[in-house]
Amino acid sequence: MIKTIAARVWAFFRSFQLTIVLLALLMCLVVLCTLAQVEMGTQGAVNAYMRSFVVWHQFSGLPFPLPMFPGGALVGLLLTLNLIAKTLDIKLSWGKAGMWLVHFGLVVLFAGEFVAGMMQVDTNMSIEVGQTVNFVQSYKNTELALIDVTDPTWDEVYSVPDTLLARGGSIAVPGTPITLKVKRYFPNAELSNRAEGTPPSMATAGIGPSVSVVEQPLVSADNEMNQASAFVEPVAAGHSYGVWLVSVGLGAPQSFIHEGHNYVLSMRLRRQYLPYAFTLKQFRHDVYPGTDIPKNFSSLVQITNPSRHESREALIYMNQPLRYEGKTFYQASFGKNDTLSVLSVVENPGWLLPYVSCVLVAIGLLAHFAIVLRRSLKRRQDKKEG
Amino acid sequence: MTFVQKYLAWGAGVLALLIALVFALPGGKVRGFDASGFGNLPILEGGRIKPLDSLARNSLLVIHGSQGFRHEGRSVGPDEWILDLLFRPQVADTQRIFIINDTEVQSLIDDKGKKLGRDNYSFADLGPRLEEIQKQASTAQPIAPQKRTRFQSAIVNLFDRVYLYYKLRNTLQLAGSPGLGWEIQSLGTADANLRHQDLIQLAQFRILPPLAGESPDAWQSVGQALSAASKGGPLHPALPPLARLNAAYVTDDAAGFNAALAEMDGVVSTLKPGALAKASRELVFNRAQPFYVGLSIYFMAFLALCISWLWKPDLLRPTAYALLCAGAIVHTLGLAARIILQGRPPVTNLYSSAVFVGWGAVILGLIVERMYRKGFGTAVAAAAGFASLIVAQNLGTEGDTMEMMRAVLDSNFWLATHVVTITIGYAGTFLAGAIAIAYALRKHLATQVDVETDRALADMAYGIICFSLFFSFVGTVLGGIWADQSWGRFWGWDPKENGALLIVLWNAIILHARMAGYVRERGIMMMAIFGNIITACSWFGVNMLGVGLHSYGFMDQAFYALTAFIASQLVLMGICYAPARFWVEKPHGKA
Repeated sequence: MIKTIAARVWAFFRSFQLTIVLLALLMCLVVLCTLAQVEMGTQGAVNAYMRSFVVWHQFSGLPFPLPMFPGGALVGLLLTLNLIAKTLDIKLSWGKAGMWLVHFGLVVLFAGEFVAGMMQVDTNMSIEVGQTVNFVQSYKNTELALIDVTDPTWDEVYSVPDTLLARGGSIAVPGTPITLKVKRYFPNAELSNRAEGTPPSMATAGIGPSVSVVEQPLVSADNEMNQASAFVEPVAAGHSYGVWLVSVGLGAPQSFIHEGHNYVLSMRLRRQYLPYAFTLKQFRHDVYPGTDIPKNFSSLVQITNPSRHESREALIYMNQPLRYEGKTFYQASFGKNDTLSVLSVVENPGWLLPYVSCVLVAIGLLAHFAIVLRRSLKRRQDKKEG
Repeated sequence: MTFVQKYLAWGAGVLALLIALVFALPGGKVRGFDASGFGNLPILEGGRIKPLDSLARNSLLVIHGSQGFRHEGRSVGPDEWILDLLFRPQVADTQRIFIINDTEVQSLIDDKGKKLGRDNYSFADLGPRLEEIQKQASTAQPIAPQKRTRFQSAIVNLFDRVYLYYKLRNTLQLAGSPGLGWEIQSLGTADANLRHQDLIQLAQFRILPPLAGESPDAWQSVGQALSAASKGGPLHPALPPLARLNAAYVTDDAAGFNAALAEMDGVVSTLKPGALAKASRELVFNRAQPFYVGLSIYFMAFLALCISWLWKPDLLRPTAYALLCAGAIVHTLGLAARIILQGRPPVTNLYSSAVFVGWGAVILGLIVERMYRKGFGTAVAAAAGFASLIVAQNLGTEGDTMEMMRAVLDSNFWLATHVVTITIGYAGTFLAGAIAIAYALRKHLATQVDVETDRALADMAYGIICFSLFFSFVGTVLGGIWADQSWGRFWGWDPKENGALLIVLWNAIILHARMAGYVRERGIMMMAIFGNIITACSWFGVNMLGVGLHSYGFMDQAFYALTAFIASQLVLMGICYAPARFWVEKPHGKA
């Protein structure tokens, strides 16, 4: 009984029908994902179609979303199993060596995409010419930073990620005597000057009382950003410092003093501090003569890494990223009249896998076609002779 | 095939090549003026040095939709047109070169109750309504191209054309002014500075080569040179001969014009040695129009082959093959010339990808024909070459096809590897589709069942699908590696990447379905035709979505063409599926 079930499962996973059905499903997903990008932005569509196990759709009349289609992760997983089963099933002979390599290479490629989907972290680093930066920041995720700026030479930063703020309640900030009470959290909000006669703000301190906050639906398109905002009340030793409005949309710093320590409250894009720093020495934005067609962007940075006793220059330009300490820095954008350079920073432990896969598959395909060609030439020869 | 037939066939090929050569020869003088010599003057425009002739052709293509037009009973070429536009705008303004199709735009222009329909307008016709055109266009311009209404697209398009015309008209002299000579004489007078500023702002190109000791890119426009001279600097040495060219053309003094041109050439070659030679190489390429000639030869080859199935096959089939070879030679030379002129691998934009897809399909078709010798290789190669060059001709109307590469694309290594491999993959998939179409049509047209030919066609298609899978897969992965190098991720599910992936997946499905025995001859052929749809969508369709890192150009006109193509392929799939009168299900072994 168990044997027959096992045999059936095995037969299912190594069948050609499964391969073709899965490939066809993948094609449909790719088409849907591409079309969805017009509305949802690339990242939104990829998360909904490719990096999910099931594609959900919310019908307007229903209170809950319905599963509509198997997601990319599910199809990919099944395809990988199918691929492994098929690879094991291919007869071990020299004649099949090419196919072996190809399919093994594909397994590596899929593994690479899984690793990227699960573990890749995309951040960026904006540096102005002459500035030194020792952190990278997220594109979308935010944090509430509580910065102790008492010491003019050293900022002590404590941060609360937006995911924690979203849960609400009281958050004791480790390392400080302060507890933050989250009164209200808005994943996205529009801020404007509060007009006369409108209901009073929840905020009692800082700039908050003169700002009105309207909650907005979340956006996912590539060129839009959520303005995460919150009303928080710092409490320390039983004393409240008032309710403050914090938001990504607010520029001005807000601070309060507790027991001689000066704390700045700031809602900002989530930062990751690095054990090294980059100083932008020069940014170039060359255009073709007489036009504004960009010819070249490049950033000359000084890398300072005390832990490695390292201080050297590196030039980051188009198609020539800098790989450093597990992160890769790419020239991505610029601003402020060519004095600001934006580097996109990617951390993907599996970045080598596609390279390995490419080599395996290319060799495999060449070997296979060589074998087939030889066979068919031989057949022709036999035909001529016979 | 007899000896005579063989010679006749190859004679046709050689004749085609000779005709192609005639195109490359210089034309005669226009009313005694050496217009083509004037077109040979090097200028800096769009970031590169090119002959004025290239600018004239491309501008006329953008404005008028073709490289020449008829005016007062005779045809006017690009070099004569640009001469009039630059020096005698009052003449050029009466030439009706603005074609307007959109009736709403027409009603905006003429309110005299004229019957509306496709019509040509001159700049003088548009004159009184220029402000209105600009006003309407500036409200439409901020809207994203894919969200514009038909009227908005049409008015923006008209405005862009008119603006290009207006800029050209005011590049060497301000239209309506007495000319460049007068401008040089009146240096330092009142208002002169204002006119210089206008000239600088409106200049579409820079014709004055960099002076000795300046940066090699420091070409100047007439306005810049006049402005520099009025600030006390020396007069640019190329300005006086340019002014004489202007004066001689206006006064109809052909001898004086040609003398001034020789003087201008002398100044240019002293200041910028090599620029004139570079410009004249490109001029020969422009005149030869290798892709236009090539597509005509492909058409002849296809025609000869079609006739060969009805009449004199022994003579006409080799003739078609010889013509195809001649077309391929012209096509190859054109491609090589572009590579040399541009200093880039063959595919740099959508236009050149169409040229290259056609070339790949033709070369593959020639190989297939050598292997099977049934005429089908010739037929599909000629048809594919013809079709893709037609597509290229239509894509080439948007301006300079040798434009400079944006920073992220500025990598000959990746252009040569990723872009070329993936384009070969497109070419292969299209060729397999074309063979399948030939198979489908043959099934219905042939008078007798010929199992062997069907089998050969299926073999060809299968072989080419394998070939395309290899190239599209390797090309896609190389693209991923390029993306990893420049954007920091191997795969981002960007529309263009998805398009490439679809081709890979589809070819993989065909091969697996065949291997598993789910489809046989007819099934593979239908799938190969569907491959045409997928390739066309991934090639052009993704550019129409206007999202993603790869969307370098948006095209709205092409949307209808693409839809029509898809519909035609679906019909052909139906034809392939339909049992013909002579269709008999043959017993098959496992394919």
